[in-house]
Amino acid sequence: MVSLTSARTVRAAAPSRPPLKTGRPGAGWAIPGLVFFGVFALLPMAGVVYLSLTSWDGITAPQFIGWHNWSRFLGDHQIVQSTIVTAILLLGNIAVQAPISILLGVWAAGKQRNRAVLTAIFFLPLLLSTAATSVMWRQLLDPNFGLPSKMSWLFFGDQNMLGTQAGSIVCLIAVTSWQFVPFHSLLYQGAARNVPETLYQAAALDGAGRARQFFSITLPLLRNTIVTSTTFMVVGGLTAFDVVLLLTNGGPGTDTSTLPFTMYQTAFVTYDYGYAAAVATFLLLLATGASLLLVRLTGYTKMTSTQEGL
Amino acid sequence: MNNVSRRQALAALAGGAAIMATTAACGFKSANATASSADGDVSYWTQVDPTNTVQQAAISAFNKTSKGQVTLSTIASAGYLGKVQTAMGSSAMPGLFFNWGGGSLSPYIKAGKLVELDPSLKSHFLASPLQAGIVDGKFVGVPCRGTQPVFLYYNKALFAQAGVKPPTTYSDLTSLVTVFKKRGITPFTIAGSGTSSWTELMWVEYLVDRVGGPGVFSSIAGGDWSTWKDASVLQAAQMIAELISSGAFGSNFGSVNYGAGGTSTLLADGRAAMQLMGSWDYATLAQISPSFVKNDLGYVPFPSVEGGKGDAGNVSGNPTNYISMTTAAAGTTAADFLKTVYRDDYVLGLVKDGEVPVTTNTKSLLSQSTDPAYSSFLYDLVAGAPAFTQSWDQALGSTLATPMLTEIQKLFNGQDSPQQFVSNVLAIQG
Amino acid sequence: MKQRPNYFAGLATFIWLLIIGVPLYALINTAIGPQDAYSQNGPLTLPTHFTLSNVTTVIQSGFLGYIWNTILVSTATVVLVLAFSIPISFAVVRGSGWITRGVFRVFLLGLAIPAQAVIIPLFLIINQLGLYDTLWGVILPTAAFSMPVSVLVISGGMREISSELYEAMALDGARPARVLTTMVIPLSRSSISTAGVFAALQAWNGFLFPLIMTQSNSTKVATLGLYNFVSTYSANIPALLAAVLMSAVPILVVYLFARRALVAGLMGAGGK
Repeated sequence: MVSLTSARTVRAAAPSRPPLKTGRPGAGWAIPGLVFFGVFALLPMAGVVYLSLTSWDGITAPQFIGWHNWSRFLGDHQIVQSTIVTAILLLGNIAVQAPISILLGVWAAGKQRNRAVLTAIFFLPLLLSTAATSVMWRQLLDPNFGLPSKMSWLFFGDQNMLGTQAGSIVCLIAVTSWQFVPFHSLLYQGAARNVPETLYQAAALDGAGRARQFFSITLPLLRNTIVTSTTFMVVGGLTAFDVVLLLTNGGPGTDTSTLPFTMYQTAFVTYDYGYAAAVATFLLLLATGASLLLVRLTGYTKMTSTQEGL
Repeated sequence: MNNVSRRQALAALAGGAAIMATTAACGFKSANATASSADGDVSYWTQVDPTNTVQQAAISAFNKTSKGQVTLSTIASAGYLGKVQTAMGSSAMPGLFFNWGGGSLSPYIKAGKLVELDPSLKSHFLASPLQAGIVDGKFVGVPCRGTQPVFLYYNKALFAQAGVKPPTTYSDLTSLVTVFKKRGITPFTIAGSGTSSWTELMWVEYLVDRVGGPGVFSSIAGGDWSTWKDASVLQAAQMIAELISSGAFGSNFGSVNYGAGGTSTLLADGRAAMQLMGSWDYATLAQISPSFVKNDLGYVPFPSVEGGKGDAGNVSGNPTNYISMTTAAAGTTAADFLKTVYRDDYVLGLVKDGEVPVTTNTKSLLSQSTDPAYSSFLYDLVAGAPAFTQSWDQALGSTLATPMLTEIQKLFNGQDSPQQFVSNVLAIQG
Repeated sequence: MKQRPNYFAGLATFIWLLIIGVPLYALINTAIGPQDAYSQNGPLTLPTHFTLSNVTTVIQSGFLGYIWNTILVSTATVVLVLAFSIPISFAVVRGSGWITRGVFRVFLLGLAIPAQAVIIPLFLIINQLGLYDTLWGVILPTAAFSMPVSVLVISGGMREISSELYEAMALDGARPARVLTTMVIPLSRSSISTAGVFAALQAWNGFLFPLIMTQSNSTKVATLGLYNFVSTYSANIPALLAAVLMSAVPILVVYLFARRALVAGLMGAGGK
């Protein structure tokens, strides 16, 4: 920690400098990035919101139809079903990935030698693209040639994993977790390294065991990272569709058609862009709402460090 | 805001603008290379496919003697249709593109993007495959590759061991199911995963055709959606439900994906006795086991259904694939290029690749294919067919086909009863 | 004080190693075996003999050129993303009230934009700018879409720097630029590296933007090149997985080298 006495000395010796404003970045710092982001992300999104008020097949000019897409959206049974499936997958992913990532991240932050090697291996799934991972898992889940045929004790229901809704949901969560746990554990690893060793030493002297140290020291200090990580998972769950496309194509039937998948299908398979734009706008609102909620609930926007008061 | 940050902000803005301007300027050069330019160059889009080498050879030969050049772009099959759709409304649209004809071309015709082709081209092709290239009364697609009918593949070794012959009638088929089940062999292999539900569509196509005749689907494709109520549809759905409950497809087909030989391998391995599949599977089987293809591969047309209205010679499948010309194809280059797709060298290239093209000169060249017996079987099957129904998903276009495929998958998976199947499909276009 | 070996951690990491390892084994196994062995035995059986034929097939399809394009796209994306995100994060964390809330919310909103939803308007914009079928047509949207994540992560890292340090520099009369370059960036190295890695991965594995924004062979990236082995009715899985492995190699190499810097950065964070 930087010694506070030297800061005080500086303060005492300084002549009448302008106060806190100096050294703070002004609005200008954010402008170039905002413009860039605006042109390539916000502007298209505004276009999509506008498109939700039109009927468009992608080839001829869009036709303005007002709220028609939205009233159809509100009465669409498939949308309700898709929202439920999306929620199930989202919660399932969080429930599986968060504990594993936290444990792995904290473990990886330790300084033992072998941990570095193993961490590199654990990182490998992230290096494969989602499409490649999904294709690979599709082969691995083949009931006649893949894992179910070689390790049938692990699989239930005659190895017909993708033929039932429950089985498909489990497979989707498993494949997504397999690929993204490395990313989240990277976040936790960085944050866990920030926890001062002194806290653990003090707790050990007090007689606290490993588990107690983990729950009382590590977890609370990881609070900001938990928010960040959960935000990514929520956003990921609301925008990712390639795993669903490649593994189940929304099946069996429409049992795993998540909202992003339904949106993709409506736009690129049935070419009903106006309606797809409505679904996309809805997704955007959901995801933004969720992130804002998460952020507010945990006081994130106050921009305070978890180290305050140490 | 103090002076320092204002200056910095302006500098940052200027810098950002400079980057963007340079970017745009650098990008300008290649923009024109994509669309078809006025001096007659044409861009031809196709999807990644084993026949790409043949297509490229034809293009290279054409370019040598033509003023306008044709450039081939091979696009990932997974995104091909989406990319074509996206580009069609912009200046980046191709001059020529590969497609499946039928309902898939309707949106482009309605938007006025396609150019009608020279009628004299028609005389070089067999009659029935041409049909799907004539959409909404306009001749917009010329056949550019082999025909892909669907028929029954079977494992000759397994049949010999069981002492049975391939089926010629539907009751033959159901008794074969019993025979093979007793021997612990899956009678029919099928890919029932949501990603491959078109394999299940083929069963529906043939059963409806055999029971009710080809008129049922052509009425639906012609725009009368209520024809789904026809008794033959419900009967076909019931026949399928019976097949499934008798174990004709095994029990875990719901997780099987067709790509990479999920089903064909079972046939080649001797774990399944038969597969209803299109002619492209020959190449897959050859890759899996050349010895199987040489010694034990058998093929017959889909059997007839006793008491059904459909002719036993009717065929379903992809008549062929087509090239269409768009309004972006300037000059006569595109029209001239299209004249090369029935030339002997192009057709021969396809034949040697295992395809059976639908040109009038094909029969004479078939002896040069790698498996003449197989190629003649295909040719005779198609040439002698009273009716060749295009795969329903291509004929209807994806807007209607996608929910239809979902219901078919649910029928096979047991989520829809035959009655529910019919009412759900009817509800697609309420 | 010596602690008992952590049996729980040992067992858990072993299980996780199996979970990660088995599919990777299947991946490598398939890529180095001949095609017919894969078709007959599936991905889990060791082939009787190993072959590099899949690798040669992949190279012959021009894959190395595609990897080079991907390297260009990824590098440019990371540079752009960091160049824009670091100043923005700095402004968000240390700027005065309305900037903080407003800009941060804009990027939270941006986090949730689904790429496949905006692809059509985006395509029209890129086409208007004359960037269709150029690598920049891929780089710019990919960078833009990676910015929300970067801003989130980097501002998280910058926030951990205690305000006393900022005040110390302020009293030194340091201008924001100097504060940023001499103190903030070094201290938030770990979050910057994480954001950089994430942006690189997004660019490396991106499929939708290259698919729609490019067309010719000269602008093809590795993810599109993978689809040279997939056609409508069949897929050459061994070649496909060999290509997947080959496209993972460069980024693995970068990771192995950057890991040292990453670790050093992680250790230094917090200003101890």
